[in-house]
Amino acid sequence: MTDLRLIASAPELAPAGAGTATAVRLPPGRHGLPADLVRSHQRLRLLEAAAAALAEQGYGRITGARVTELAGVSSRTFYQHFEDLWACLLAAYETEAGHLCVEIEGACAAAGDERRTRARAGIGAALSFLAAEPTVARLLSAEPPPQVTSLAEARRDLAERLGEMLRGVLTSRDATPLPGLERRLIGAALALVSARSASGDAQRLRALEPELSELLLATL
Amino acid sequence: MRPQASAAANDGTAAATGRGNGLDAEAAREGAMEGVLIAAGEVGYREASVRAILEHSGGHRAQFYEHFQSKEDCFAQAYAAWIERLYVSLLEAATTVPGWEAGVRAAIVRLFEFVTRRPQIGRALFVEVQIAGEPALARHEATVERLALAIDSAREGIPPELAPPEATGTFVVGGVESCVCEALSAGDPDRIWDTLPELMHFAAGSYFGKEEAEAAFERASIFLERERARLTGAEE
Repeated sequence: MTDLRLIASAPELAPAGAGTATAVRLPPGRHGLPADLVRSHQRLRLLEAAAAALAEQGYGRITGARVTELAGVSSRTFYQHFEDLWACLLAAYETEAGHLCVEIEGACAAAGDERRTRARAGIGAALSFLAAEPTVARLLSAEPPPQVTSLAEARRDLAERLGEMLRGVLTSRDATPLPGLERRLIGAALALVSARSASGDAQRLRALEPELSELLLATL
Repeated sequence: MRPQASAAANDGTAAATGRGNGLDAEAAREGAMEGVLIAAGEVGYREASVRAILEHSGGHRAQFYEHFQSKEDCFAQAYAAWIERLYVSLLEAATTVPGWEAGVRAAIVRLFEFVTRRPQIGRALFVEVQIAGEPALARHEATVERLALAIDSAREGIPPELAPPEATGTFVVGGVESCVCEALSAGDPDRIWDTLPELMHFAAGSYFGKEEAEAAFERASIFLERERARLTGAEE
């Protein structure tokens, strides 16, 4: 996760115990840090731990206990931040979906006016972002349980937003894109990302850019 | 509204339904496998307990554990059996009509018939498998790759210099599946029929470009209209 990496790399903070998350704990005891800072750090650790736990256990087996273990916080602290596991995952999802969209928008804006160049820059930025953060790639692309409606809606919202971005970059005045087509294209792209990240292949996502760009732009 | 009358006999997915106590071992196993998929489709994989499975299949807990180590094991075995049947059924539909486009359309129609007739099982096979994870998910990915390989036969008619990307087959299968997941997750599988023309546009466009995509869209719209008119006529 982009923000958390900055915190985790701070030299004065020791890494947490065994686990797949890179979250770090603040020093125990009296450290004189403002309560707000401690609280905000705990929340960030929980968000990162939620993504790590999901990558490790999947939606079928993930538990709140594993999230707190990876974050290095007590379950009491967990419930001070989130109502339940799904609320924590939702916050992680929305945070990272926001980061992904900012990356894409930044890359598109910097790529100039030519529509296809802008689209390719956005697709490349998205894949680079996801390749650099395999747990985030899993979080954003995996299909959540439909019974957890808030998470399912968040994923739909992200797909809609990515579809709108694709359409916004590509639509010209004389073109009338097929309604719903960009949803199929984004659904297919997310399925590809999900399959690669589930098989531990997230690092290879970056190499997918030329193919994915060609596929996403072929019919629009 | 379904464009074609569905027939259990021709989709190749009909399974034995074991109910009651006098089940032979294979019928009990088959019944539990159907039961776990129905339960997962109804209440979700996480909530589908052995008790819920037995409510659908009949039989006893002890009998269940003679065949399966756990709910997870039962789901994995059920997934493998049912996705294989569906895969064979889709290929059969695709190969009984001439031409790539008609074959893809026939396979999608067969898939739509299946998920509209058995929405809980469809939900288990396409949505809940993502929640269940391994080993069912690995089987899912393998099936996607086999379908992608089949759909990739489109390359035979494309000159090498115009060949689409290597991942095209996987991309097309993923797009069709995401459409199915969307309809099933929304609890309204019948609405999936409306997406047939846009899916054909998406599939043909991925291989052959915009012009072929638009032609495939038109042909699928005409097909859908004709089938709907035929069914309406049959009902009257």
